[in-house]
Amino acid sequence: MKAFAAAVIAAIALAVLAMFALTSNQRFAYQAFATSGARVSEPGTNLVGPRWNGDPRPDEFNAEPHGKAEGAGSAPKRS
Amino acid sequence: MRRATTLFSTLLVAAMLAGPGALAPAFAQNPIQADGVNPMGARPTADSVNEEFLFKQKDTITGRVSIPDGKSAYLIQPQGREYREFREGWLPWIGALAILGMVAALGVFFLFRGRILMEHSQESGKKILRFNAFERFTHWMTATCFIVLSLSGLNYIFGKRLLMPLIGPEAFGAIAQWAKYSHVYLAWPFMLGVAFMFVVWVRDNIPNKIDWAWIKAGGGFIGKGHPHAGRFNAGQKGVFWMVAGFGAAMSVTGLMMLFPFALADINGMQLMQVIHSVIGIVFIAGILAHIYIGTLGMEGAYDAMGSGKVDLAWARAHHDLWVEQEQARTASGPQLNRPAKGHPAPAE
Repeated sequence: MKAFAAAVIAAIALAVLAMFALTSNQRFAYQAFATSGARVSEPGTNLVGPRWNGDPRPDEFNAEPHGKAEGAGSAPKRS
Repeated sequence: MRRATTLFSTLLVAAMLAGPGALAPAFAQNPIQADGVNPMGARPTADSVNEEFLFKQKDTITGRVSIPDGKSAYLIQPQGREYREFREGWLPWIGALAILGMVAALGVFFLFRGRILMEHSQESGKKILRFNAFERFTHWMTATCFIVLSLSGLNYIFGKRLLMPLIGPEAFGAIAQWAKYSHVYLAWPFMLGVAFMFVVWVRDNIPNKIDWAWIKAGGGFIGKGHPHAGRFNAGQKGVFWMVAGFGAAMSVTGLMMLFPFALADINGMQLMQVIHSVIGIVFIAGILAHIYIGTLGMEGAYDAMGSGKVDLAWARAHHDLWVEQEQARTASGPQLNRPAKGHPAPAE
């Protein structure tokens, strides 16, 4: 029973370690694939708007949309 | 008469000059003539670039993108259709047949053969250490991870078909999200456990002639009596090599999916998922048989991984060569529980 309990605790501990190790190196696609010459839309701020109808209201551009990804924004275009 | 002739000639020349010009707009708007041939000799529909033409140049159709994500330039990847057909069509049937087939086979076996009972002898009641604490720790770490990985893996195939209609999309979405987390993170202790098990047990799992004799004798499942066996019999060696081989294959394909597009392109990613899912299903079916024989199918077998100590009579019946080896190796019998006074241990 002790071996079983230790095994379960070790499995959970290793899984948590793996979680931190994996997530620490992850970046959002809009961060990873943006360049000085190309901007990748950030999730939740797409051109079709938060209602996905292609007709966003002006105030919706600046509103905090549902499900917006956290993290540093992509680099602004130089030109 | 002369005036009339002159007028007629003038009208005729005017008609010849003006006619094509007057009809030109009509032709310009409808360049295809009555016989269907373009006067310019072009066949815009037939000569246009089409899928067939593009696939003669390359097996995918790609465009150009300015972001450093080359795969986003893929427009059409025909292999993806085959992958989708497998993923949505064949895979659920393969999974259901393999797993339910194994459950049915084990049920039939149990009905006909029943539980393999312990054969008592004068050695009954004495215990011999079969697996030490580290071996049991390694086994259970791998096993508990495997169960979670199996359930969360099956959710990828059957969840939306079986679970979602029962609990609704919201609850299913939450469960699937956590199942995905558990699948991705518990894969690491599982891989470590498989590596530990390989190192700890590989020496006792090298096939030899005794295994062939064990197989020819039906492994004790058919008929009565038990063929000779060392620490692990041929069936257990089969499970070991299945876990080692499938574990390695699942690890490699799983790592390829954990780090998408690091070493494989889109087609490679699809192939990894096909291999991962098919091996996973066979793996689950095989481990179901292992669980059956280690618990319900054989009396006394679970103790080996439960407490680590098994009944000496059971060990003598199923692993006689190993018992002799252990007793010869440690004549004082540190692996044996000290019997009550007046009942010497077999090794003494």
